[in-house]
Amino acid sequence: MTRLASILFVAASFVACSKSESKKSDSHAPGVAARTAPTKGKGQSFGAGVKLTTPTPIAAIIAEPKKFAGQTVRVEGMVTDVCEMRGCWFEMAGEKPGEKLRFKVTDGEMVFPVDSKGKHAVAEGVVAVKDLTLDDTKAMAVEEAKEKGQDCDPDKITEPKTVVRLDGTGAIFD
Amino acid sequence: MRHRNWRRWFRAFHRDIGYTAVALILAYGISGIAVNHIEDWNPNYKFERRDVAIGALSGSLSEMEGQVVERLRLDRGAVRGHFQETETTLRVFLDEGQEAVVDIHTGRGTLKTLSTRTGLFEVNSLHLNNLKGVWTYVADVFAFALIVLALTGMTMMKGDRGLFGRGKYFVAAGLAIPIGFIVYMYS
Repeated sequence: MTRLASILFVAASFVACSKSESKKSDSHAPGVAARTAPTKGKGQSFGAGVKLTTPTPIAAIIAEPKKFAGQTVRVEGMVTDVCEMRGCWFEMAGEKPGEKLRFKVTDGEMVFPVDSKGKHAVAEGVVAVKDLTLDDTKAMAVEEAKEKGQDCDPDKITEPKTVVRLDGTGAIFD
Repeated sequence: MRHRNWRRWFRAFHRDIGYTAVALILAYGISGIAVNHIEDWNPNYKFERRDVAIGALSGSLSEMEGQVVERLRLDRGAVRGHFQETETTLRVFLDEGQEAVVDIHTGRGTLKTLSTRTGLFEVNSLHLNNLKGVWTYVADVFAFALIVLALTGMTMMKGDRGLFGRGKYFVAAGLAIPIGFIVYMYS
């Protein structure tokens, strides 16, 4: 009887698991071309997903970050970089060459797969703007270079930088 | 008599839950060690970088993307897109995290590939609940099973070797370690 009860308990404890998928097609802007289609809410979802329906151009946020500071926005673009250590951030291409916006989450809150580069992302979060000191700018450049396996000479950095990023609440990758 | 009965039940639970949970305990333990050192390595992926020199690129960005794919003999069907990082740098993204970064003028650059760490990638996905969905509930049940194992484990022995014998000192030592670190964290 004792044995039967414990077998029933452990048997009831273990079940199966599920996973989401992705797919392809075509889109957009000079300097950027992705074969993945803008998502319609399907694909691989992270965090709270995306609730806003109207996208804000990344170019607009980068051009006037302080105008958007503190606002919750939806942005769309191709994933160009992902944090290689923890998967705690990814960068999306803007509409112009070289234009990128970082989507950052608290470590472990969402984990973005490192093999996501080139996928189309839709993301939602709060625009955060921070004016760094020169020392912080150098430290950040060194840290970023380390993450990307690149060299960086902080002495070549002479101007402090303003960091614009999205404190992410949710994202969907197609 | 009654006293003996609950101990028998607890032993039976401890034994059979232990057998069932052993696979996940090992998986979570191995993954725990792996992700603990995330500052030093990526526990899920291996990254490889190879220098390439494919000659100067010309034409539109799409044409340049085609030249990169052709000259590096990459799978055209695996191309996800491209991004002009700087005036002279073109990045071409392919499936499975493959990426070519090429200087448009010199044709020099790198081909990056990544591959999953077999075994670790899978156990980390379970441990970190990357699967979400139903796995969340499986993990909850597993966590509950660990609580049952811990509580029933303390009742396995009685007398000098039991919880109220030397067992209490081991429990106190096990408690003191995390409490010590928590005190340190707030000090």
